Amino acid sequence: MGETMKRNEESNSQPVWNQAELLERVDDDQELLRELLTIFKEDYPRTVKILEGAVAGGDLKSCASLSHSLKGMLSNLGGTRAAAAAAELEKLASSPVENHLLKEALEVLQSEAASLLPELEAYMTEVRH
Amino acid sequence: MKILIAEDEALSRRLLEKTLERAGYEVITVENGKQALEQLCKHEGPRLALLDWVMPELDGPGVCRAVRTRADQTYVYMVLLTSKGSKEETVLGLESGADDYLTKPFNAEELRARLRVGERILLLEDRLVEARENMRFRATHDPLTSLLNRGAIMDLLSRELNRSRREQKSTAILLGDVDHFKRVNDTLGHVVGDEVLVEIANRLLGSVRSYDFVGRYGGEEFLVVLNSCDPNYAPGRAEDIRKSVSHRPIQTAKGPLSPTMSFGVLLSADWGPRPVEELLHEVDIALYEAKGAGRDCLRLAKPGPQAEVLSAALSQSARRRD
Repeated sequence: MGETMKRNEESNSQPVWNQAELLERVDDDQELLRELLTIFKEDYPRTVKILEGAVAGGDLKSCASLSHSLKGMLSNLGGTRAAAAAAELEKLASSPVENHLLKEALEVLQSEAASLLPELEAYMTEVRH
Repeated sequence: MKILIAEDEALSRRLLEKTLERAGYEVITVENGKQALEQLCKHEGPRLALLDWVMPELDGPGVCRAVRTRADQTYVYMVLLTSKGSKEETVLGLESGADDYLTKPFNAEELRARLRVGERILLLEDRLVEARENMRFRATHDPLTSLLNRGAIMDLLSRELNRSRREQKSTAILLGDVDHFKRVNDTLGHVVGDEVLVEIANRLLGSVRSYDFVGRYGGEEFLVVLNSCDPNYAPGRAEDIRKSVSHRPIQTAKGPLSPTMSFGVLLSADWGPRPVEELLHEVDIALYEAKGAGRDCLRLAKPGPQAEVLSAALSQSARRRD
């Protein structure tokens, strides 16, 4: 089992989405929350797509910088596990590393982010009703 | 209060913007370090700044270093926002010139509290600058008229003479004395005398351009320095300044008074490179001539034998100008 997977298992004890933390950060402002989600839904896929290219091409500098941005947006949304996965990828890319480890870390990040979005969407729907 | 947010990532930027707007700040947002630096170097730009560490073009510590190298600018309180958190990085951030350091994701309450610290520091700086400016003003200005005092106007005159010499221009020096001022003090009292001096100072100041200088040279003597003054127009301008004092009565506590002034006028282009003390001596002689000619007039100081004779005569007699 790779080091990345091990770390990910450790972070599994954390919630996918730290709702309380995000609501406190936006001061319970649903309008702002909706706005942030819109930004996330636009920026996340775009950034990940470029990141995929950087990982495939072994461009460590771009890899580190893009995963840093993702870490920022995910942590601000309270996406604790996805943010931890982005941090892991950023850390890996900060020094020479085998490419399969980067790919593995990217997969973890994508999987964590994929479970975050439905939680956020579900909350927004609930609030609307 | 204005605050700058420099953050390249859109979601974090919007979140910070909204949080700080709610806290009552006037928020300016930029997306990279270069834009941040431009904003912080602007005249009356933001004095509080939240800077992301990792940014395109120039990183947060780079912005801090660049801001701190500027001289004579108001202090900018800078907080680095970053997910970096090791001791080495904290030291690096603070050594680059940042005042504080906050790890992401931020806690809104902590962020606001830390910015309030920044505001207190800026308020303290404002008070210190104000106190320094007051002291500087007191050291260079006459307390009664608020005109430049003798030392300050002499310094400016020396500087201006050097500049006009370098640029081959002419500086006009006007030394004026209030006619029969002693009578005002003796008959109406010093309070009225002071009122007259203050109003004359205002009239002199109102009669020159913003880049000319007016100073109180002595009791009732005033020195006016007209920078880059065309020698052909200088006598006319000097005459206008003289008339600006006497064109209407001065209202005092003891009724209206109509003081006049006599002036000695010297154009630096006529005299070539001479020490400032010598030029002042010559303009003093011209003023003496104006007094001798019946007062309420001006006389131009011209190099020549006549001036030298007068100069010798003056140095032998104690003068009373009144």
